[in-house]
Amino acid sequence: MPASLVVEARGVSRVFPMSAGPVTALRDVTLHVAAGEYVAIAGPSGCGKSTLLHLVGCVDTPSSGSILFEHRDVAALSEAARSRIRLTRIGFVFQRFFLLPMLTAAENIELPQAEAGVAPAARRARTRALLEYVELVDRADHLPSQLSGGEMQRIAIARALANNPVLLVADEPTGELDETTGEHIADLFDRVHADGTAILVVTHNPTLAIRASRRLAMKSGSLVA
Amino acid sequence: MQWACHNPAMLTFVAALACAIALDAAPDVLVSRQLAARAHLTVGDTVTLAADANGARARTFRVAGVYEPTPDPMRFTAERIEGRLHLPDLIALTADPHDPASAESVNTINMTLAPGIDTRRFIADLASQAPGVTGWPTARSRDDDPFVVLDRFHLAISVVTVVGSTAFLLALMVIRAEERRDTIAILRMVGISRRSLLTSVAVEGLVTAIAGAIFGVALAFTTEGLVNRIFQTRYDTALVFVRVTPALAWRAVAVAAPLGIAAGLAASWTLLRRNILSLFRR
Ligand SMILES: Nc1ncnc2c1ncn2[C@@H]1O[C@H](COP(=O)(O)OP(=O)(O)OP(=O)(O)O)[C@@H](O)[C@H]1O
Ligand SMILES: [Mg+2]
Repeated sequence: MPASLVVEARGVSRVFPMSAGPVTALRDVTLHVAAGEYVAIAGPSGCGKSTLLHLVGCVDTPSSGSILFEHRDVAALSEAARSRIRLTRIGFVFQRFFLLPMLTAAENIELPQAEAGVAPAARRARTRALLEYVELVDRADHLPSQLSGGEMQRIAIARALANNPVLLVADEPTGELDETTGEHIADLFDRVHADGTAILVVTHNPTLAIRASRRLAMKSGSLVA
Repeated sequence: MQWACHNPAMLTFVAALACAIALDAAPDVLVSRQLAARAHLTVGDTVTLAADANGARARTFRVAGVYEPTPDPMRFTAERIEGRLHLPDLIALTADPHDPASAESVNTINMTLAPGIDTRRFIADLASQAPGVTGWPTARSRDDDPFVVLDRFHLAISVVTVVGSTAFLLALMVIRAEERRDTIAILRMVGISRRSLLTSVAVEGLVTAIAGAIFGVALAFTTEGLVNRIFQTRYDTALVFVRVTPALAWRAVAVAAPLGIAAGLAASWTLLRRNILSLFRR
């Protein structure tokens, strides 16, 4: 079992020191995501869901406790090493898509591959395959501003999958989408999961949450049973 | 003195004399373009010249040509109302008939030394071989040459300009970096390394700076003619006031490129050194 763990949070707390006083966003959270697992987290606004995703996604480091990503202590890694993990082992999907507005859909998908050093020909082939995967081949050369919300999120998912990550981290991926479009995204997540990628998703959307193999709830910085 | 035998002016004199005898015409005079314009002279006109303001001992000359005075930056504001005579004509015109020595004496001779000849040694040799003759270089020492002073002034202006425009460039780059805060946050979130971002910013800074430098050089090249024409018309001279040389153009690019990169890097570093979460506007 431990060998198949993708990420593990052990007694993690995160305190933000603010001028008006420290804010405790996470309190002693313990969580693990196994390879290929699909975990959904729900909870009220401000309870620390995004903060937890940032820690698990190697964007941030905990104030106390430890995050082990593929058995490596994230806090002990350099920023460059964490950046490399985010690039090659993790895919991020955000509520507001966060595509680069000056790049076309295809270029957005190619960018992380280029950074990872994938050769141009292989990059183009992979991008094409991903565009087919999210059923947007005909929108390859469109800018994000020329796409609908659902289409942008599908491109964002394709970008997240560009370097074959072991973990897809998603923060409210259907938060900006209508119900039907949200369902399409949920279907896409199912396919990603079926293809063996672990998923950790924060969502209020029951349609999406119901697909997860494990559902967790958070409250005031802690996981509740 | 020996100079007369070797003096080209004397040879010219002989030639001119031969000409004058052959054609039985008035001796030649060359007039400056400005004088020709002022006095409405054309080649072939006959003019009367006198060394004396009263017109005493006037002689007749034929205008043999109109010349463009050699531009002299020391005298560019002076109107070049002047002419050139063959030396014997000049002596004949200016000599005092009551003083036979006046046609024989020379006060000053300008000479150009062949390249490589040391001026000081030449002057020393001259003094030892012809006592009473003193020589002095017309080239000024660097410290009292007004052009060297002007040059330093220009250097100071350019340093101030470069410093000022660098500050401006830096401010622009900081604004531009701040505009890209979200983009940088996304890029760093998805794992684009600081190093890649700095490299691309440096490349962007380089391209911007080189484009700017090329624009500046192109502007300088195109306005060079205009500036020269304005001043040449203003002072009625052929003097070249502005000259953009390739060396100057290269220097502009060489100064601009590293400054552009540095400004880009300095501006981006304000974003890149921060942690990712603080980049996302909340
Ligand atoms: N970078 C930060 N600096 C300061 N405080 C922060 C920061 N990030 C989060 N917080 C605080 O931590 C707490 C948890 O925030 P977080 O964004 O994790 O909540 P959330 O559960 O994702 O909320 P929502 O559902 O509204 O997105 C909040 O009180 C928030 O103000
Ligand atoms: Mg959140």
